Amino acid sequence: MQLELKEIYKSFGSGDNKTEVLKGISCTVEEGSMCVLLGPSGSGKSTLLNIIGGIENADSGSVSIGDDVMENMNEKQLSQYRRRHLGYVFQSYNLIPNLTVKENIEVGAYLSDEPLDVDELMKSLGLWEHRNKIPNQLSGGQQQRTAIGRAIVKNPDILLCDEPTGALDYNTSKEILKLIEEVNQKYGNTVIIVTHNDAIKNMADRVIKLRDGQIRKNEINKQKIPAADLDW
Amino acid sequence: MKNPLNRRLLREFKQDLGKYISLFLFLCLTISFVSGFLVADNSMKIAYDESFDKYQIENGHFALAAEMPSQVKEKLEKEDVKINELFYKDFSVRKDDTLRIYRSRKTVDKTCLMYGDMPQNDSEIVIDRLYAENNDISVGDTIKADGKKFKISGLVAFSDYSALFKNNTDMMFDANRFSTAIVSDEAYDSLSDTNEVYCYVWLNNDTSLNDQQQADKADDIMDILKETGLLTDFVKRSDNQAIVFTGNDMGSDKSMMMMLLYVIVVILAFVFGITIKSTIEKEASVVGTLRASGYTRSEMVRHYLILPVMITLIAAIIGNVLGYSCMKEIVVSMYYASYSLPTYTTIWNTDAFVSTTVIPCLIIFIVDFVILHTALSLPPLQFLRHELQRKKKKRVTKLKRGKFITRFRIRIILQNIPAYLTLFIGIMLASVLLIFGMVMSPLIDHFKVEVKDSLISEYQYILKAPVETKNKDAEKYCVNSLNIPDGESITIYGISENSKYLSDIDLPENQNEVIVTDGYMEKYNLQTGDTIKLVKKYEDKEYQFKIVGHYYYAAALAVFMPTSNFNDTFEMENDYFSGYFSDDEITDIDDLYIASVIRSNDLTVLTDQLEDSMGSMFPLISVFSAVLYVLLMYILAKLVIEKNTASISMIKILGYSNREAGRLYNSSTAIVVLFSILINIPISYLVMRVLYYIFIKELNGWVNFYVAPWIYPAMFLIGVVCYFAVHFILMKKVHKIPMTNALKNIE
Repeated sequence: MQLELKEIYKSFGSGDNKTEVLKGISCTVEEGSMCVLLGPSGSGKSTLLNIIGGIENADSGSVSIGDDVMENMNEKQLSQYRRRHLGYVFQSYNLIPNLTVKENIEVGAYLSDEPLDVDELMKSLGLWEHRNKIPNQLSGGQQQRTAIGRAIVKNPDILLCDEPTGALDYNTSKEILKLIEEVNQKYGNTVIIVTHNDAIKNMADRVIKLRDGQIRKNEINKQKIPAADLDW
Repeated sequence: MKNPLNRRLLREFKQDLGKYISLFLFLCLTISFVSGFLVADNSMKIAYDESFDKYQIENGHFALAAEMPSQVKEKLEKEDVKINELFYKDFSVRKDDTLRIYRSRKTVDKTCLMYGDMPQNDSEIVIDRLYAENNDISVGDTIKADGKKFKISGLVAFSDYSALFKNNTDMMFDANRFSTAIVSDEAYDSLSDTNEVYCYVWLNNDTSLNDQQQADKADDIMDILKETGLLTDFVKRSDNQAIVFTGNDMGSDKSMMMMLLYVIVVILAFVFGITIKSTIEKEASVVGTLRASGYTRSEMVRHYLILPVMITLIAAIIGNVLGYSCMKEIVVSMYYASYSLPTYTTIWNTDAFVSTTVIPCLIIFIVDFVILHTALSLPPLQFLRHELQRKKKKRVTKLKRGKFITRFRIRIILQNIPAYLTLFIGIMLASVLLIFGMVMSPLIDHFKVEVKDSLISEYQYILKAPVETKNKDAEKYCVNSLNIPDGESITIYGISENSKYLSDIDLPENQNEVIVTDGYMEKYNLQTGDTIKLVKKYEDKEYQFKIVGHYYYAAALAVFMPTSNFNDTFEMENDYFSGYFSDDEITDIDDLYIASVIRSNDLTVLTDQLEDSMGSMFPLISVFSAVLYVLLMYILAKLVIEKNTASISMIKILGYSNREAGRLYNSSTAIVVLFSILINIPISYLVMRVLYYIFIKELNGWVNFYVAPWIYPAMFLIGVVCYFAVHFILMKKVHKIPMTNALKNIE
């Protein structure tokens, strides 16, 4: 489903301490595409991702996924919105420590009426042999794979990745980016990656650059290269 | 698909086994005891209530100075009642015990045979089961009454003596030194008639009368009896302590037990709530991720609620099973140790099940639901950012003064206020239980000493008629018994103005002025200068006295006046007297003229009985409260350690030794614990004092509230020892925290 943002404004604080973080963001991310949100610290990219993810409210403006418009939703409606449309991957994997890999992924599957096959997914994520391990028995890369599995098992319309490689080394980061690319291609989810790593933009279909709460650049990447070929 | 989060529950349980098992065991133990109590109480109460019909318990009885003339009986029976003779003879047996012997009872106030057989011949007797047990008497033993030996053929429960009150005006029943008994008619007739009491009981023909109608009928009967001039005693069933005391006591214990259970469950609900809240704080990012992925707040609340509710439910179910099996027997044996009750059948008690299963689960559910609902109401982003304060602190509490260590400890205390508050309240409850468990035995012992110290004389003789003695130690006195309107009896003493036994009493000169015992003043909130109103039972006479002073006499609620005033007040001859005070035994008065002899032992029946009924309970209560101390201290102090695992790990990296790190964190808890114990000692004293006065005011007589001075340091010591045990475990926990922990948890 297509994601559409219209005139998103967001500020924090009040009076003299008021800081405008997003100043009228409008853009569209095509269904099934991969979009990278780039920008320096404080540019508003994570705030924008959180607004798309329905875990933060915009002061004004609207977010729509297909026909579902997120505007003035109450807490319950927001939960349903996230449940229907979104998968989340964070820099810190946030896995449940006393559940196995398989069970962590099932936590995501539980939220969907038509989840992907958990065993199949674990095989494609390279987690099959680790399925009965608990998070502290895994490497950082394996934990992030599990977190991706948990996010995509419900086959969400949009996969939101907040600095997914931020805590990983170069090789593992590339592995994870390859995996996200595979997921995007295999399951056709729209993927939005927030990163400060400039190199990642090369694997995206669309690159949006933010600075001071405004879109400075929003362009289609015509020279898209596979994640495996990324270098930084 | 089942919620996969549920699979964590068992692992969560195993991971924190110590905490959950302690909470489970404590809940299970409490519920099993209360459930056992309620089942036993209910079953016994039903047996007690049914005994009224089953054993045809009297609607009242009266005693006459002589056998009832037939015309009086006819007149009474016109009131639609059946009159039955229930004559008895009191004999002194086994030193100073009293055996009240009846003929076999066939129609009214029937007995329940507990062991052995009813008397088959003139030399057999059945006695009360409780008295027998208290005095190690068994079936087959012999007992001597009126010089005759009787073989005990059986032990029975008298339906009209479930509490063994010798006289209805006694402060307390005395199952140690008073028993009822039954012999064959021939054996009864062969016993001396000297002490025979012409007692009659009535049964209403109409069994559907309500309380008021029954009371009206009793008044009508009394009016008829008053006219005869023969009435010496009159007690309607609702006033008969031997019959109703047990039933009233059963009810009062029940509400106390329920209150105890619910207070403990509420405290444990807070313990659960606080520990779960701490788990949520620990795994805030997971909660945030799940919420961001679409898990609703209700799903999360439900998930975190399952464990405490399940633990409570399982504890309640197992507790109920234990309650019905083991605990019931313990409680039943306590009842049988206090009262002379008939046999009973265990009856399934829906109320007990609801009270000990449904309500505790509901309490845990409601308290923890509110805590969790509030804790999880934050938006997912705040969980992801670990910003779990509802409002950001605008100002940090400034701690300018003091050493770094002191300020550090204060910070720990400020960080853990909810946990420490729960700990404080828990210690308060445990302290009240502890003081209750510890205070009663010394209080009873102290009362006995007080009674002995304030004893007027070693012997107080009450005579049937004024008879002179040559004993030089004997001093004449007068005594009468009046009642507080609709209340208990007060002993009125008339004493010599130059009494050697009451030399320190400042007797009033004016008529109708009296000195009142301290216990009487305290029980009824009286002051010097107040006027008291007393009535003569079965007569319409009312007396008013002005209090002009008070006197310390622990044994009874009494009023003192000079003999001359006494005889004027009660319209007696000037030289009238009722008995003698004497430190020497008087041997020159025939037993025929002696109504009773009161020794110091006779004055401590209230406390003796309390000791017999509840004595075994007191140490149990103390142990229970010590367990509660340890449990709360352990769980809540452990929480503080868990909350600060990363910080403890970090300070170890900085170079603090295990011991220093442990001291830094555990000493904050130690300060709170010591402070809580100290503050709660006077609080528990005040609570106990209030509860004690409520309890003791229900009884006839008065026993001063007394806390032995050693109890306060002992309470403090128990608290400290309990904490020391916990402290040892906590120090080990701190030792076990690895330095890598600080690095692992940084996100």
